Amino acid sequence: MKPIVSCRGITKVFGKGELAVHALRGIDLDIMEGDFATLAGPSGSGKTTLLNMVGALDHPTAGEVAIDGQPLSGMSKSALSDLRLNKIGFIFQAYNLVPVLSARENVEFVLRLLRVEPAERRRRADEALAEVGLQGMEGRRPSALSGGQQQRVAIARALVARPRIVLADEPTANLDSTTTKELVDLMYRLNQESGITFLIGTHDPRVMEHSKRHIEMNDGQIESDTRG
Amino acid sequence: MLVSLAWRNIWRQPVRSVLSLIGLAFSSLLLVFMLSFQFGVYDTIKIGALGLFDGFGQFQPEGYDDDPDISKQLPGSQALLAADQIKGVSATAPRASSFAILANGDTSFGAAVIGVDPAREPAVSTLYSTISEGRYLEPEDSAAIVMGAGLVRNLGLALGDNVTMLGTGNDGAVAADVLELVGIFSTGVNAVDRQITQMPLARFQETYNMGENVNVIALRGPDFNGVIRAAPDLQGLAEAEGAVYLRWDDLQPEVRQMITLDLSTAMLMYGIMIVVVVFILLNTLYMSVLERTREFGGLMAIGMRPAQIGAMVWLELVFLSLLGAGIGIALGAGITIWVENVGISFPGMEDVLGQWGISGRVYPDLSFFSASIGPGIIVGSIIILGLIPYRRILGLEPVSAMGAA
Ligand SMILES: Nc1ncnc2c1ncn2[C@@H]1O[C@H](COP(=O)(O)OP(=O)(O)OP(=O)(O)O)[C@@H](O)[C@H]1O
Ligand SMILES: [Mg+2]
Repeated sequence: MKPIVSCRGITKVFGKGELAVHALRGIDLDIMEGDFATLAGPSGSGKTTLLNMVGALDHPTAGEVAIDGQPLSGMSKSALSDLRLNKIGFIFQAYNLVPVLSARENVEFVLRLLRVEPAERRRRADEALAEVGLQGMEGRRPSALSGGQQQRVAIARALVARPRIVLADEPTANLDSTTTKELVDLMYRLNQESGITFLIGTHDPRVMEHSKRHIEMNDGQIESDTRG
Repeated sequence: MLVSLAWRNIWRQPVRSVLSLIGLAFSSLLLVFMLSFQFGVYDTIKIGALGLFDGFGQFQPEGYDDDPDISKQLPGSQALLAADQIKGVSATAPRASSFAILANGDTSFGAAVIGVDPAREPAVSTLYSTISEGRYLEPEDSAAIVMGAGLVRNLGLALGDNVTMLGTGNDGAVAADVLELVGIFSTGVNAVDRQITQMPLARFQETYNMGENVNVIALRGPDFNGVIRAAPDLQGLAEAEGAVYLRWDDLQPEVRQMITLDLSTAMLMYGIMIVVVVFILLNTLYMSVLERTREFGGLMAIGMRPAQIGAMVWLELVFLSLLGAGIGIALGAGITIWVENVGISFPGMEDVLGQWGISGRVYPDLSFFSASIGPGIIVGSIIILGLIPYRRILGLEPVSAMGAA
């Protein structure tokens, strides 16, 4: 089986000279199709930095990230945007929904960028919202939704274009434990039923409970990578 | 998609957007009205200053304007009189003139004596309408003269009195005549009221021994700008007849100078206003771009290209400026049209304005140009300077953008 994402010798240094911070120190990692992987480690260990590399949001100082075998180095900003649009779904701690768009429009937005026909777009957006349990709330703007509901919209948006991999950075950090559990169950179910690949950076033991693969980081390195 | 997103983004900060719109609309309104008003005043001044006596244009013999000498006469005056057939020109009037001494007993003053055709002259100049005592010249008149109130006072004349005229004829001989004062005009323009007199052209030609010849032919049209547009044709005709054609600004260069000076001062003021408005607006919008850096990072993360985000922000600017300028033009045009109907008067300014031949009310002149140039420059500058935030967005990196406060 070919990896969806492969990282080889990734290092990331922020700043220069005395002030240089070595956020990542030589990461080798393959994310395989169907993975439901959690990425844990102490604060500052490099989780977010690594997720940004995998998500084509940032460039490594050295090493190479490839998505579906395609190396990212040398790609233009637009090309990277297109790649994210086509292959990666993001879920952020702060939801990052567009405030002037309704839940449905937020989800549809990705499909618009992909130039999907309006009728098809709406059908898929509503389907995705139903999948995350938000039927009946399609017309609400983010400000009229709770944090958990907003994160569900973000999950629907991340899934609606059927990405190769969904990256989530602390998706439950702003949510209470009931909501956290519901969302983790939801992501797990999507992984089990639809085979969507997840890589989730988290501190939260309730998220790790479900993980089929657990990666532990420390000081910019992968300390352990266990399946089971 | 970008269009509707940009439109909605404008209304995220309704207070800010409405304030920007008000600023834009108000400055556009002001520009439309002020420019229309200025052009209206200029037209009034031109028509007033030239319509009173000079005419909207004149045929003259070569060199006459610099050194008006009675011996410089128009060849082909019949063909030139037919210039009233040219589109934009409605009337022509032949004139002959000389400088003469006018005397009443012991009192004498120098003045311009102009021979006019009483039948044709009123269609070209409005001097006849300023007669305050007696009457204007009539076709049957022979030894008659009309003069300005100032000169009448200086000479101590009364209506019906005889006045002696002494000048130099075409042939260098003395030209003398005794004329009856049949009318007194008060134009309000001091120079005219003190120095101009008119008498029948036929009598003038006889007295000054110039046969059927004339010195100048003045002309007028129903519309000032129509005569301006006819200038090339009139010039051609003058050339063909061995004469020269003088446009309004050749006849009264000081009017043109005054208008140019006034307009350039005004342009400076408008320029400053436009710079301030554009600067304030761009500043506000640039702030909103900075505030949304995080959001733009998020949009890039989910796959929106930087150029698309930049275009969205640029469209916000375009919409806002078009909307504001549109409202401003509509209101400005509305107010201008209203004032076009009622006019504006300047109490206390009558004397000053009278010297420019303006009497009573002034009316603005709304045109496509006066309505669009000011707001157009504002919108244009915003659209162009809006490329600054656009470029900034092109330079954003998703991670650092998302990390922004
Ligand atoms: N833009 C940056 N400039 C400088 N240093 C940075 C930057 N981003 C991250 N770092 C540093 O890199 C290291 C790794 O940070 P990272 O955010 O990846 O950690 P993390 O594991 O996600 O931590 P947390 O659990 O607190 O989210 C930290 O020491 C951090 O201070
Ligand atoms: Mg982190």
